[in-house]
Amino acid sequence: MRLILALLLLLSCAARAGEPELLPPEKAFRFSARMADADRVEVRYEIAPGYYMYRDKFQFRADPASVSLDASQLPPGKIKKDEFFGEVQIYRGDMRFVLPLTMAGEPVPRFTLKAESQGCADIGVCYPPQEQKAEIKRVAFSSATPGAGLSPFLQSAPGAPASAAAPRSEPQSEDTLIAELFRGGFWALVMSFFGFGLLLALTPCVFPMIPILSGILVPHGEHLTHARGFALSLAYVLGMAITYALAGVAAGLLGTLLSSALQNPWVLSGFAAVFVLLALSMFGFYELQLPSALQSRLAVTTNKLNGGHFASVFVMGVLSALIVGPCVAAPLAGALLYIGQSGDGVLGGSALFAMALGMGVPLLAVGASAGALLPKAGPWMETVKCFFGMVLLGVAIYLVSPLLPAVVHMLAWAALLIIFAVYLHALDPLPHGAPGYRKLFKGVGVISLLAGVALLIGVLSGSRDVLQPLAGLRGAAAPAAQPALFRRVSNLPQLEEAIRAAAGKPVLLDFYADWCVTCKEMEAFTFTDGAVRKRLDEMVKLQVDVTANLDEHKALLKRFGLFGPPGIVFFDRQGNEIKGLRVIGFQLADKFAATLDLVLN
Amino acid sequence: MTRLLQALLIGTLAVLFAGAGYLFYQWKWEAGARPPDPVATGQIVLAAKFMGLDDKPQALEQWRGKVLVVNFWATWCAPCREEIPTFIKFQDQYGARGVQFVGLAIDQKERVGPYARDIGINYPVLVGGLESMDFARQVGNRRGVLPFTLVIDRSGKVVTTEIGILKPEKLESLLKPLL
Repeated sequence: MRLILALLLLLSCAARAGEPELLPPEKAFRFSARMADADRVEVRYEIAPGYYMYRDKFQFRADPASVSLDASQLPPGKIKKDEFFGEVQIYRGDMRFVLPLTMAGEPVPRFTLKAESQGCADIGVCYPPQEQKAEIKRVAFSSATPGAGLSPFLQSAPGAPASAAAPRSEPQSEDTLIAELFRGGFWALVMSFFGFGLLLALTPCVFPMIPILSGILVPHGEHLTHARGFALSLAYVLGMAITYALAGVAAGLLGTLLSSALQNPWVLSGFAAVFVLLALSMFGFYELQLPSALQSRLAVTTNKLNGGHFASVFVMGVLSALIVGPCVAAPLAGALLYIGQSGDGVLGGSALFAMALGMGVPLLAVGASAGALLPKAGPWMETVKCFFGMVLLGVAIYLVSPLLPAVVHMLAWAALLIIFAVYLHALDPLPHGAPGYRKLFKGVGVISLLAGVALLIGVLSGSRDVLQPLAGLRGAAAPAAQPALFRRVSNLPQLEEAIRAAAGKPVLLDFYADWCVTCKEMEAFTFTDGAVRKRLDEMVKLQVDVTANLDEHKALLKRFGLFGPPGIVFFDRQGNEIKGLRVIGFQLADKFAATLDLVLN
Repeated sequence: MTRLLQALLIGTLAVLFAGAGYLFYQWKWEAGARPPDPVATGQIVLAAKFMGLDDKPQALEQWRGKVLVVNFWATWCAPCREEIPTFIKFQDQYGARGVQFVGLAIDQKERVGPYARDIGINYPVLVGGLESMDFARQVGNRRGVLPFTLVIDRSGKVVTTEIGILKPEKLESLLKPLL
């Protein structure tokens, strides 16, 4: 109670009384610009409620000066009677201007738009004239990149003025979409990240967490109440959330993320080991506990509150966040990209904390309902624990699979499936009149056994494909080895050389590493697709293998503002990067083909 | 009971973290929002120098010991123009009792001079370019808006800073105790 009071006190101190809350000018008059079509620029000002801008104070210039903009046709504004200036025209709300563009001499692919404007707030203050800038790229009418402190304008325009040709709809690459989210106020941003986390919870990324959490809850068996289940899962989720928040702060302060460090083979193996240990405890080899030395120390402080277990659960949450990290690489990369650029660790940390809480909501539900969802006692228990143990081992194998040769990988799966079958009594005779669930288990066990045996036979007969282990037994000739899809480049000069040599073809640059699970998935499922292949044939395909993480690799990553693979960057036929189209994270063939279409046109 | 306590503890912890994050954010983001130290700010203001309309540099130090009202304004700022007649009136009324108004125009001299003559400004007007908005931010105008007015007492301490129009009644109640 005292804690809560203290907190309230703190919060009330934070609320400052007094002067009117004024927005900083870049938020009061939010500026963005892009090409509306081939020869017109669309300039947008989102004017906050209670603020207005003077129509006659707008000035638009371009750099280089060979590009000129015609601002003579600004739409009429509302009339404001001013005691001193007479009747003036002002703008409020969401304003869009379409400015015709003329080029003297050689057309340029990009230019800088400099917009000068001046506005006031209704409470009776004015902002000094300000100049805002936007990089406008004419090629492919791509979205503008922001000037210092300004936000990019990525949304296609609903309700654009009739005079504006409808801007081409382009899929937003996921990383820019996230950066877009950072435009709102602090709380709007935190809420959007919370919602975003909720969405992420629907992706398979959270699956690995459910067995871990269940592994925490199941040992409590019948003693598990809703409150305790909820409290335990909350401890777990908080551990996860704080880890993400720290990652956000670190990215903000360091400017680069340690994501590659978190994905290096040793760390991955470490996590796999944690899963194996968890699994073994599921099989009843030991009770899952912290080392006794640590435990006794913790006991002094936390066990008094009967919460000694919470500390270990919290640590589990921390570890889980690191494990799931690569899976949510795309949204994380976007968020961290922005944080790294903004240098604002607090904002990033809070946003990621909220995102992780959102991701944790289903886990909390599992925790709170655990008493109802999970079996309470009886022979069920052992089987369920064993099942979770198997799932944990499966996650461990999945984690280290990029590091293992295919043979070892397949043998591991085979062993897992066969042992699982044994645990399900697949090899024991069913007693006469056995209950239904025993029959079901036996059935599942036999399937698992057969799959395991098939894998084992497959791998021993020379197959290296987990999904088609027995293909080698068909006797058909193995397909001829595919020629390498990508040309390798390893440093910036090589990349520039290769882009120059592309001679008018668009260029795809793929960042790859052996430990990058998403990269392997792209290779296996997306790059192999026929429609994708057809489009890739028209492009120059380059790849950087950053597994070794040499200085030249880091320089390349930094050049593109990436923290690590996966990341695919496109260049147009003139060799300029098409900023809005980056692919970060896994994309299915359909979506990737659509992205490629945009690059090609 | 203990379970309830646990749940409560963890819940509180969550709120605490969220609150701490928010506060830290506020503190960092809005650092300029905390009322600056009145004595230090007064020193900054009095140490500043700007061009006068006669192209001679003027130090604000020359008005130390008076009840000094420094008004940041511009000709392009309608609310600023609205309040200037009040200042003219007050300069007349209280000038003899030690009140000194000083206008600092964030503007071009070519526009300020004619305007000051037309409207009959009876106190010194100094001119600073757009860059003097940084000075305004330094002394408490964190959003860099106009009009912005500082009142400094005879000891050189900033008594109040006001964003937006200063109403005559308010100005009067501010000045009276300082005379």
